[in-house]
Amino acid sequence: MLIVAGAVLAVFISLSLAFGALVVNEILRINTLAWQQGVHVIAFLKDPGVDGVPVDAHDQLMTQIRGWEEVEDVRYVDKTGAWLEYQELFAGQEELLDIDPNVLPASARIELVNIDNHGIIKNRLQQNVLVVREVTTAADSIEQLQNLSAVLNVLGLGMAVILGLAAVVLIANTIRLAIYARRDEVSIMKLVGASNWFIRVPFLLEGMVEGVMGAALAVFAVWLGSTNLARAGAGFRLFRLDVGTDWFFRWGVLFLIFGAVAGIVGSMLGLSRYLRDADGSGPEVPTGF
Amino acid sequence: MIRLENVTKVYEGGSVAAYDVTLDITKGEFVFLVGPSGSGKSTLIRLMLREEPVTRGKVWVAGKDITTLPRWKIPYLRRSVGVVFQDYKLLPNKTVGENVAFALEVLGRPPSVIKDQVEQVLDLVGLADKFGRYPRQLSGGEQQRVSVARSFVNRPPIMLCDEPTGNLDPKTSVGLMKLLDRINRTGTTVVMATHDHAIVDAMKRRVVALEHGKVTRDDETGRYEGGSDN
Repeated sequence: MLIVAGAVLAVFISLSLAFGALVVNEILRINTLAWQQGVHVIAFLKDPGVDGVPVDAHDQLMTQIRGWEEVEDVRYVDKTGAWLEYQELFAGQEELLDIDPNVLPASARIELVNIDNHGIIKNRLQQNVLVVREVTTAADSIEQLQNLSAVLNVLGLGMAVILGLAAVVLIANTIRLAIYARRDEVSIMKLVGASNWFIRVPFLLEGMVEGVMGAALAVFAVWLGSTNLARAGAGFRLFRLDVGTDWFFRWGVLFLIFGAVAGIVGSMLGLSRYLRDADGSGPEVPTGF
Repeated sequence: MIRLENVTKVYEGGSVAAYDVTLDITKGEFVFLVGPSGSGKSTLIRLMLREEPVTRGKVWVAGKDITTLPRWKIPYLRRSVGVVFQDYKLLPNKTVGENVAFALEVLGRPPSVIKDQVEQVLDLVGLADKFGRYPRQLSGGEQQRVSVARSFVNRPPIMLCDEPTGNLDPKTSVGLMKLLDRINRTGTTVVMATHDHAIVDAMKRRVVALEHGKVTRDDETGRYEGGSDN
């Protein structure tokens, strides 16, 4: 019983880590995608009616931008909107909130059809010196994020694979211990002519049940952690921590199947050596006597 | 029924357990393998059961060359050979009935057949009233009779016995030998490794003597120390 509990616990730990790595990977993927699809260029605008900037300059610029074929969408954030955003961003940091809201500029948030055109749009906006104060693009950050995401993807998947294999090895060892504990019974089974499959099946079922139990516990634990994480991060606007029920269900089922397969494969590995050696077909003694 | 042809068995480390052994055992024979400890008696039993591979030579059991038998066919060989060991090899957590039934369960026999055959064989060995007892509740002699019942329940044509009386007192040993003799009279070939002088001398059956893995004597109706009664 202790051996079985140990195997379930070992599978639970390794598959929890593997599943956790996948969840983190998915969160990164979702957010990278969201950022790639978000604002690519921001043009901070001079205040209208000041320093010769016409009162309707912002409206004119927005109309102009909307006409550009490289632009997918453009959104205007006025000074009030900028202040609300600022307050949200630095909520709870009173010293940073103690500023004159008027210093925050209005801006045009531009989403491009193709992010590769960010340079053209930036140049075009910078030429409009009368209205545009400063232009920033997210291109560099997105590129860095993509690189980081690719590295984390490889690490996460690599970790999931290694931990999955660890689960197989742990089950194999457990079955080896189980068969050792029942070696007398197995040797008697062989003596009375039981086929290898007759001996194998109970151990394969045992391994499969251990694998499924460990995987179920792992899926439940990661679901619990992920749900709490998503709840805690529900207020974040820039970062999403919820992987979605569909994704979780799909991968949860796959992990249960993996647990079952890992259990069966582990049991086969654990049994193979014993069954090979126990039927008189073990290593041949060197001839030449 | 059993034929060993120039069989040699060398264990890892160079220990010679059998050397150029040639032996023919016909159907229905009762053969004693005798000799001191380490003479190779048990090794020959193990080779006949394909528990060990031979180093050289051929072993035929029931007309089949078992030295070239594929691994998956070994269980089929063992189903036609009953085995009795000195240490009984009973499952302590199973009752007498369950231990005997176990040999039929692994063959996939239906429960009704198993029940009938187990009752018959327990009756044969005189343990019908011990059906529900556990091995620890039986004497050594009774445990060995359960072991015989398990090996014979499938009615195999061959029975291999490795020192079956080794743990029994002389009186119990006689009872067991009477049982094996009865089984032999049903046409079952019995090969028994032993170093029990009294039993071999009393039974007056074929005796094959071994020493250092070699056959030193093969008497049709012999005694342990040699010299035929005929």
